Formats: sequence, C-alpha cells, structure tokens
Amino acid sequence: MYLTDEEQRILNGECGEPQRLALQVLAKLGEACGAERLVEIASAHLVASSYQIAGEAGIEIYSRLVEQGARVKVRTTSDPGSIDFARWREFKTPAEYAARQLRIAELLDQMGVIPTWTCTPYAAFNVPRFGDHLGWSESSAVVFVNSVMGARTNRLAAYVDLCAALTGRVPYFGLHLTENRRGEVLFELTPDLAADFADHYFPALGYLVGQTVGDKIPVIVGLTRATFDQLKAFGAASAASGSVALYHMVGITPEARTLEEACGGRIPAERITVGTREITAVMEQMGGVTDGPVDVVGIGCPHASIDQMRRYAALLAGQRVHPDTELWVCTNVVVEEMARKMGYVEIIERAGAKLMVGTCHNDCPLQAWGFRRLVTDSGKFAYYTPTTVGTQCVFASTEACIRAAVAGRVERS
Amino acid sequence: MSQPQRVWKGRGCAAGQFEGEAVVSSQPFGFWQGLDPQTGTVIDKRHDLCGTNVKGKAFAFPYGRGSTGTPGIFLEAVRNGCAPAAIVNVKSEPMIIMCALLAEAFFRVSIPIVDSLEGVPHEVLRSGDRVRIDGSTGVVEVLSRA
Repeated sequence: MYLTDEEQRILNGECGEPQRLALQVLAKLGEACGAERLVEIASAHLVASSYQIAGEAGIEIYSRLVEQGARVKVRTTSDPGSIDFARWREFKTPAEYAARQLRIAELLDQMGVIPTWTCTPYAAFNVPRFGDHLGWSESSAVVFVNSVMGARTNRLAAYVDLCAALTGRVPYFGLHLTENRRGEVLFELTPDLAADFADHYFPALGYLVGQTVGDKIPVIVGLTRATFDQLKAFGAASAASGSVALYHMVGITPEARTLEEACGGRIPAERITVGTREITAVMEQMGGVTDGPVDVVGIGCPHASIDQMRRYAALLAGQRVHPDTELWVCTNVVVEEMARKMGYVEIIERAGAKLMVGTCHNDCPLQAWGFRRLVTDSGKFAYYTPTTVGTQCVFASTEACIRAAVAGRVERS
Repeated sequence: MSQPQRVWKGRGCAAGQFEGEAVVSSQPFGFWQGLDPQTGTVIDKRHDLCGTNVKGKAFAFPYGRGSTGTPGIFLEAVRNGCAPAAIVNVKSEPMIIMCALLAEAFFRVSIPIVDSLEGVPHEVLRSGDRVRIDGSTGVVEVLSRA
C-alpha cells in the first residue's frame, strides 16, 4: 500500500509509539482489504467507550496509550458509556462496575476525546458534512452519517476507530469509494403501505431490510417523506438485524435523488415488494404483543432528540407510570439540558419515568432488576435486549409503549 | 514434523502459525454476545457450538456476524488467554481481520486467519482434527483426523 512521506515517518516511530501502533494497524487492515492508500478523515467516533465493550482489555490498552502520550488528532466523540454518570446508583449499577467506567472516562479525557456519551453524536458536536471521510464505529451512527448526511465511513471496529482518531486517517476502501456506494437490493413499498406509513413502521422496515440484505446496500422506493428521527430509527434497526452501513431512500436521502442515482445507473433487476402483510409479519417477529405485565419500557434508542422529548412529554403530561413498571427514556446530556430548559424533563419525571442519560438499557448492567418483559419502539432494542437484558421483548409504537408503561401491561388491541 | 494428510490453499488474512485442534461449525458466528471472554466458551444459545470451548483452538466458521463491539470481547478473551488461536472462514470480513490485527498490536498475540480455501472449511474440516495453519501463506493442513 502506498504511504505518504508523513505516514512513513509515523510508521518509523518519529511521531511516538501510539501513532506508530495505530498506523501499523490501519496499514495492515488496508492491505487485507485491498486499499491502495490511506485517506485523511474529518472526525472519529469511538464505540469502545463503554466498559461493557472495552472491559479490562480496553482499560489496559487505553492506560498504556495514555502513558505513551496518546492524543487524538481529529475531532473525536464517545459512544454511550455503561453507566448514567449522574444516576448510576438509581439504576442499581454496582459501585465497582461504575468505577471501571469512570476510569475509562478519565483515560478518554486524557486523550482529548469529547465526552458526548451518545450514539447520536451527529446531532450535536460531531456533525459531518456531505462527502467528508470519517473513521466511525457504532453501527447506528455509521449508517446515519453515510445514508442521511452523505459522509463516508466504513463500519470500523472498536479500537480501530481509536487508531483512526490517533492518526487522523483510515484505509481508503469500501464505502469511501463512490463505486462502492451504489444500491444493490431494491425494496419497493406497495402503494397502500406507502400511503399509510405509520411512525413505527420505520424501525420495522429497517429490521426487515437488514435481515434480508445482510451487509449489502438497500434502496427503498415508495416513501415520499421521513423525519430525521424516523431515518435514525430505520437505519439503527437495519444495522442491528443486518450489517447495513449505507442505505438509499429514493427522493429522501442525498445520494438518491432518483433511482438511477441511487444505483449508480445500474438498476438491479430483482425487486422485493413490501406490503402491509410483510410489515405485520416482521413486527410479530421483533416481538409480537401477548397480553401480560410489563417490567420495563425502553424508548430513546438511538438516543432521543429534542423533538422526541417534546413528544414523550406531550404523551406523558398528566399521566402516571404504573408502580410496578419502569419507563426509561434514553438520551444524551445535550438533549437532557435542552429538554430541562423547555420543561419536558419535569413533565417526564413527574409522570414517574426516568431519564437515562449517556447510556441505555443495552449498555448498562441490569441483572439486579430481574426484568422479564421489555416493551420498546426501537428495532435495535428489539434485536439486542433479549440477550443483553435477558428479557422477552415486545415491539410497539411510541404511543403504545407509553400506554403500556401507564397500564403496567400490554394487551393485544 | 508430521506429514499432512490433506493440504488446502487459501488466502492468508492475518499472519501467524498454529498447530493444534480444530473446532468446526457450519453456522456464522458473532463474538459479541457469542463468546464468554472469561472462559472461551460459546454462549450464544442460538449457535450449534453453544457450550463448546474454543480457547487455544483453530475455530472454523463460515463468516462472522460482526457488531462493531466485536474486538471488545475478542481482546478481552485474548487478554485472558481464552481466545481461539487461529480462525478459518469461508470469507473473513474486515471485522474479524481487525480483531487479529488489534491482538497483534496491543497484546503481541498472533492469531492466524485464513479464508477462501479451495474447499468449504466446515466440509473439509471436522471438530477434533489436528491441523496446521499458516496465516501468511494461507495454507491449512490436516495432520490427523478426529
């Protein structure tokens, strides 16, 4: 692989051990993946910021790098941690566990990482521009910045994202190249489904698409509108049930003004039709509603935006969460602060719901709660929580999630 | 050096040498939530190897199901000496290759990875086979059958 003079100097150790090690990983990765060179990046985002992912190995790696004087070279943000930094006791996180997460926070801080603790850094502080090359991990963020913002990043792995941050570079392969961003699998919505496309169909469709395409690039045809949060929910679900890193929605996402553009002029012959029957079937698979009590409700995955906080507050105003049920709203500290100023936090908390800030149900150790049944409006939670939290999962609309929290149970309507 | 019974040529994805026992599955595998890094035991209840220990073995599976958190679990297993010592895939995605590169960079442990064998790994290899793997040349040899 071709290296510039500066990259060669880094590899020779002239810029210190952390950069040498990081560049060596990136160069070998590039060689294994057929990259001709490295490319400079505008920013990085780190997924091994949570103790659940990083573990003791991560603490060892970060400690060594900090001792060697490691500093990030580009704007770098952190994914959610494994604790709510302000309320971990409230969430029954063991003190020893919290201490390990706090240690990671300290080490990332010493390397100059911006402590956003969120899976939606693209909504504040780490906002890519169209065409920017990035070194990001966190599957839901990768799919969002590629698809909705038109930035370019592969799905980097934990620690490789840090190698990118330390050197300001990534190997130039995969989604960094225009020819690899063409849509490969076509999904066509039936007119009746498209005409009456409910909010929670976005994560359901994402789940279906991810399951079908694996790591290929899907193109969705038939939708005419989608909000920022609906695109976020769709992508997160597709990146969980499959490994989707880029999707195109014709007429909605920036590299898909037309079907021809989305497919780079080569429109796939095969079309998968999605109608009401397919959407209903996938929602059943994500967690069909069976009557019974609910232990915990999870909303705000990926982290809730201020628009979503406004919606939750409107739905919870004057309501009371059932005493045997927990309703946790996941978001980041930026949105929390804004929502507090706007009075939403007060409404949400007065209803008996909890804000879970800088983390989520998936990233936190929740064994102490003994949850058996979780209700969520997130396709990503629906995919992961049966393993991470060990619960049975019910997938429902945001409104139905809040009704379940208030009633303390779900019922098939 | 023992004479191999069969030799297959593949693509070397990560350098390193291995000689020892193979554990083979026909199902894709995800390390994140699939492996207990404290013991090296497969814990994914949906997987046919659930309960099997892959520590120190050559782990053959068709391809990885890779969450971006994969190296978190993988390196934790490496640090505890509980990771597989070699990997053979039909196709190794970047996520699994990154795991081996990181293990080498941060823990100085070489885990050879080979893919694209002339034969399908889970058809030509069986759990319990004694194998030799060279991650640079991409050569996989069966030394003795289970």
